[in-house]
Amino acid sequence: MNRIMEHPILGKMEDKKEVAIWVDGKILKAYEGEMIAATLLANGIKVCRYTRKRKEPRGVFCAIGRCTDCVMVVDGIPNVRTCITPVRDGMKIETQKGLGSWERSEKDDE
Amino acid sequence: MEDIIICRCEEITQREIEEAIEDGANTFNEVKRFTRCGMGLCQGRTCRVRIEKMIQEITKNLPRQGTYRQPVRPVNLGIEGDLLNE
Amino acid sequence: MMNKSVVVIGGGPAGLCSAIEVAKAGGEVLVIDENHKAGGQLFKQIHKFFGSKEHKAGMRGIHIGEMLLKEAEDLGIEIWLNTEVVGLNANKEVWVIQNKKKSLTVQGERIIIATGAQENPINFPGWTLPGVMGAGAAQTMMNIHRVRPGNKVLMVGSGNVGVIVSYQLIQTGIEVAGIIDVGEKAGGYEVHMAKLRRAGVPFYPRHTIKRALGSTCVEGAEIVEVDEHFKPIEGSEKILDVDTICLATGFTPLGELAWMAGCAFLYNPSLGGHIPVHDENMETSIKGIYVAGDITGIEEASIAMEEGRMAGLAVAWSLGLYEKEEYIKYAASVKNRLSQLRHNIHEGKSQKSMVFPSKERLLKGAVAIVECTQEIPCNPCEASCPRHAIMIGDQISNTPKIDYEKCIGCGLCVPACPGQAITLRDYIFSEEEVALSIPYEFLPLPKKGENVMAVNKDGQAVCPAKVVRVVQSPKYEGTAVVTISYPRKFFYEVASIKI
Repeated sequence: MNRIMEHPILGKMEDKKEVAIWVDGKILKAYEGEMIAATLLANGIKVCRYTRKRKEPRGVFCAIGRCTDCVMVVDGIPNVRTCITPVRDGMKIETQKGLGSWERSEKDDE
Repeated sequence: MEDIIICRCEEITQREIEEAIEDGANTFNEVKRFTRCGMGLCQGRTCRVRIEKMIQEITKNLPRQGTYRQPVRPVNLGIEGDLLNE
Repeated sequence: MMNKSVVVIGGGPAGLCSAIEVAKAGGEVLVIDENHKAGGQLFKQIHKFFGSKEHKAGMRGIHIGEMLLKEAEDLGIEIWLNTEVVGLNANKEVWVIQNKKKSLTVQGERIIIATGAQENPINFPGWTLPGVMGAGAAQTMMNIHRVRPGNKVLMVGSGNVGVIVSYQLIQTGIEVAGIIDVGEKAGGYEVHMAKLRRAGVPFYPRHTIKRALGSTCVEGAEIVEVDEHFKPIEGSEKILDVDTICLATGFTPLGELAWMAGCAFLYNPSLGGHIPVHDENMETSIKGIYVAGDITGIEEASIAMEEGRMAGLAVAWSLGLYEKEEYIKYAASVKNRLSQLRHNIHEGKSQKSMVFPSKERLLKGAVAIVECTQEIPCNPCEASCPRHAIMIGDQISNTPKIDYEKCIGCGLCVPACPGQAITLRDYIFSEEEVALSIPYEFLPLPKKGENVMAVNKDGQAVCPAKVVRVVQSPKYEGTAVVTISYPRKFFYEVASIKI
């Protein structure tokens, strides 16, 4: 678990409400209001998407919503910047393939 | 030398950009139109500075900024309210 | 279309300070920020700032952020958060999107653009792998989201950002496998490098990154030595076992809005690239549009704050809120603080290496040792000494001089130095042993009576030591002071303890 529960300067992490999110069909524990990318990194998940042309893995790069490498399909909507989008209880997050599609479907092979 | 991706969004490599510059694309806008660099999701935020430097190195010109057009942040269609150009 | 007298784009240190100056003069000001909390980069800066008391030296960036937000709140400054400025024109019309849902335009009489800067990446094979990220990105993850971006890091770039973020990584328990720089010396302040050296972090000057290794994410990094023309030296490749590569390779000012409004630009590589031209009042080539902070050139947060004040004062004057004499007086003190901060910042000349006090003085008892030999604008040590034994003077970039006769070894200076460059040493602690007191900002905090390993300046083990005292105090702003005792023969060698 890669969360910093205690920090020499920032102190103890404050108590936050736990929520559950789905990531590629698996349930993950998250804290309410946490950014999706932070939840994923806390759980050791580094790959957010695979690119369209070369099908290469990408993950968090700038962490402030500018580079768009952390985009994933969130609740059926592709190209959501996970580093600036907070989790919600029951949110469904999927590794994005290419540009994603607007229909929720099992496979995205274009 | 290995070819490195410069435009992460559109997956355009250094060689492709160098070829475009050698073919006559002398500004960021021109490289964008030749190669699609800067047309992806991040709209050139990550690659623009590097490409402007590459143009400077190859053409030996003083660096010139490409254009910026509003909106400079992604805007969802269907938002409520006035748009500046209305 | 809404009308607001002064619109400040960007609620970071420059933007907030400019809004505060306008509000103090009685003006109406709106601050717009795209994040859910204002403060810009301040809330990622958990370290103590340098500078002088007026520059809030000794205060952590996070606390400066809280202080500015409180001041803005007390002045009744309107702040729109989660609001992105997506367009600006020469008529000072600002197009914004609120909460990604609502579009509206605001007509300003004066605009202050304080949009800061963005991180530059460098490109190398494998740089697109998950695990390669900006140093600022790692900082955001650690200090804002409280998540470790990885477990073992290579830091590329040894400027102040690279060395400060490296230290912050260690504070969260992450291992920094190395810092590399193409230059022959580190670019950041020497005191930052000294902290990292004591913590045993290897520094590879004249090295660049050849490639990132791994298939789905970073599994290692190949670095290579470069010659004086920055060409890689074949055969000098080394592979480092890391899972994260942080790029601390410079910033570029975010001038897009200023460009769209038609402001004139000039190109200055040492300030970060294309920057909007401005006069000494921070006004651009478009009347009524001002700039402040990193958008005008990459410098430090303290400079951004002063530039913000400059712009705010100039705007207030231009709106008739100050008489000319008042304005000139206030502006002069800001200009003075700015020039103090800028003095020697690029030269950072180093003095001869630091000298220990005489044996005679050591035999009298505990004494402060200040290992600060670079001319950087900073003076909290001077203010911290109740006996005025530490002298810097009006030119705050002078290196501190200690009057060992005045020093009574109280140790108040130890936690006060933002660079952790001051220690207290007691040559006559006991018959067999000497004592060293150091500033400490890691977890777990050592306990009295604990056995620790004393290390030298380069983080190498010297001898076992015992913790004799641990002091924490609100006055120390989160820095603990740990005192250890160890055999006298190692007096000069020991510099710290193994974390």
